[in-house]
Amino acid sequence: MTKSNSPGFIRRLWNWFWTPAVAVSSGFLLIVGFLVGILFWGGFNWSMEMTNTEEFCTGCHTMETNLGEYRETIHYNNHSGVRAICSDCHVPKEWNHKVKAKVMAVKDVYHELMGTIATPEKYEEHRLAMAAQTWKKMKQSDSRECRNCHNFEYMDFTIQEGRAAKEHQRAIDTSMTCIDCHQGIAHQLPEGYLKEYNRVVDELGLEVDSQQDAKFDADGIRGFLGLGSKENAGG
Amino acid sequence: MLNLLGTIAGNILSLPGILGLALGLTTRNYVVAAVLGAVVGVGETMLFAKFQTANIDFLELFVAVAVGILAAAVGCAIRIKGTTV
Repeated sequence: MTKSNSPGFIRRLWNWFWTPAVAVSSGFLLIVGFLVGILFWGGFNWSMEMTNTEEFCTGCHTMETNLGEYRETIHYNNHSGVRAICSDCHVPKEWNHKVKAKVMAVKDVYHELMGTIATPEKYEEHRLAMAAQTWKKMKQSDSRECRNCHNFEYMDFTIQEGRAAKEHQRAIDTSMTCIDCHQGIAHQLPEGYLKEYNRVVDELGLEVDSQQDAKFDADGIRGFLGLGSKENAGG
Repeated sequence: MLNLLGTIAGNILSLPGILGLALGLTTRNYVVAAVLGAVVGVGETMLFAKFQTANIDFLELFVAVAVGILAAAVGCAIRIKGTTV
């Protein structure tokens, strides 16, 4: 009884893959490879952009609290009709930073499945930690995502509200970044947020110019936007 | 950990991964391929740091260079295996 020496399926596939093509020209292979490359990359990019839609972001049950809070802010509803959706603030535009953010977002799927913030109580329990993570990213990147739309250089201080103009000028003079004052611009602030923000900044080895002034400014901004002071509200 | 994985994935799908692989395909010499990949890694980091050394994060530079070298080495291996002349 002789044992068959014919290679298995995987081996035959491997050999076929590395055997020079003799039936088709190099030009044909180049054109087909180019077209398949376009289709693959287009499909990949399109799929990734699908995950940047508001519907996708808020599709999970645990995002309902976030969504409700965001809908009360000026970034959702305003006189100009320009809206910043979740991805505008939370997903970088540059390719490498965007892919990194998408990979890191895998943890959101895990926590959705585990129900880490599935109830309002659990959500409040984790609010400060979640906010701190976002502040850390914002501080590290010099509020990169804010600056996709806002830029000190494009601001006309003469038509800004007096306090805003003064504080923005101070921010330029002292190299502050957006998140130093605008921590609760799209979501409610947890109790003791300022202490936690200072801790995050200390951890990064960075500075916030004049903490006391920053706090005053943050409350002023919230008052101007009709959100009220949140430092002691705990919500 | 997620930060590291994200950085690696970002680089695989960015210049170090793609251009590194392409440059690796141009040579049969692993050393030359590795150098080309490393150059791409440094170049990409500098590009995204807007050519200011103060903006360079060491982890990102390290990962970009490592991914560039590995991608170029894979490209070189494909070149060696996939060509008959």
